[in-house]
Amino acid sequence: MAFSLVQNDVEKLDRILQELLVQSEANGCLVCDYSGYVLAQQGVDAQQDPLLISALGAGVFSASRELARLLGEDKFSAVFHQGERKSIFICAVNLDVLLVVIFTNDASVGLVKLYAGPATAAMRGVLEEVRHRELTVPVPEHTFVLNDAENVFTKR
Amino acid sequence: MSFINYATREIQLKIVYYGCGLCGKTTNLQVIHEMLADESKGKLTSLATNQDRTLFFDFMPLVAEAIKGFSTKFQMYTVPGQVMYNLTRRLVLKGVDGVVFTADSQWDKMEENVESFNNLIENLSLQGDSIDKVPYVIQYNKMDLPSVAPVNYLEFLLNNRGVRHPSIIASAKTGEGVLETLNLVTRLVLNNFIKTQTGRSPAEKKNLVLM
Ligand SMILES: Nc1nc2c(ncn2[C@@H]2O[C@H](COP(=O)(O)OP(=O)(O)O)[C@@H](O)[C@H]2O)c(=O)[nH]1
Ligand SMILES: [Mg+2]
Repeated sequence: MAFSLVQNDVEKLDRILQELLVQSEANGCLVCDYSGYVLAQQGVDAQQDPLLISALGAGVFSASRELARLLGEDKFSAVFHQGERKSIFICAVNLDVLLVVIFTNDASVGLVKLYAGPATAAMRGVLEEVRHRELTVPVPEHTFVLNDAENVFTKR
Repeated sequence: MSFINYATREIQLKIVYYGCGLCGKTTNLQVIHEMLADESKGKLTSLATNQDRTLFFDFMPLVAEAIKGFSTKFQMYTVPGQVMYNLTRRLVLKGVDGVVFTADSQWDKMEENVESFNNLIENLSLQGDSIDKVPYVIQYNKMDLPSVAPVNYLEFLLNNRGVRHPSIIASAKTGEGVLETLNLVTRLVLNNFIKTQTGRSPAEKKNLVLM
């Protein structure tokens, strides 16, 4: 099984993320799933490596959720890490997907939390459409073809 | 479960190195990181304790031109081997597309190898996957050491599920067999990806639409 996003989905997600950045005054944000796949991102520069942020973000979120479960807390939905200059806020979009927001401490976590709510709701809508489409009309017809190099990776 | 992004022309696939504590999983990723050119690899991040043992996981993105017209990103993970970190192993296995099972070939590690393999089977089934559906290779590591079991015994013990799975002899510390293992598992994962992507027949689609 694969799940896939088309141009239109990514544009919708990008727009939601852009709006979130403007409203919350955050620096970067990304949407990823628990497998660590990055679905969309805005403002996360290469130095911060979106793939790594999503791998670690999914790890941190799951670990915290497990901690919460230990405490008998099942309504747990967000993680907030405060640094000296930068902070990170992670919250669930749905059962499989997370939103990660990175902001400098000039922005306020209150603002981030406030706008993350409607942003995740809008994303849920987009993802619900994607899921519906995956179940009904399986994505654009595309035949994938392997490159014929003998080995995928070679020594430098 | 792989992820296709038609907007960025990118396919993401996830590969996990599994095996008991200290069998050589982290060493595999370190060697791969040394061997590959900069344009095919990202940073290797290890979340380890101060005794150098993997606490959370290791992570390294790789990129290849494996599928025409797309950039293929492989997300490489290792799991912590220690028995107590089972929750972390489950987290790392989520959405996995391929597994390298690294075995420590030393005689006194056989029980741990078998236990780890059974743990892999169990964790996969807990997330609704089956070991017989996930592409995997078995790597017999540490073959440079003196007190190792012979390959046919290792095969008998770990590669006995009806269909024989590809296996490779390795000595991750010296780099032997590491790249071969990587190429073998990525090949299996890619073939499986192609197969499942073309596997949905038009009839199936029609039925789904009617529902
Ligand atoms: N002799 C030998 N030692 C190895 C080999 N592979 C790994 N090691 C050593 O075994 C120890 C544990 O390796 P590590 O990669 O951290 O194991 P992990 O717990 O599976 O991540 C380290 O001291 C490695 O140097 C090998 O092929 N031969
Ligand atoms: Mg390790």
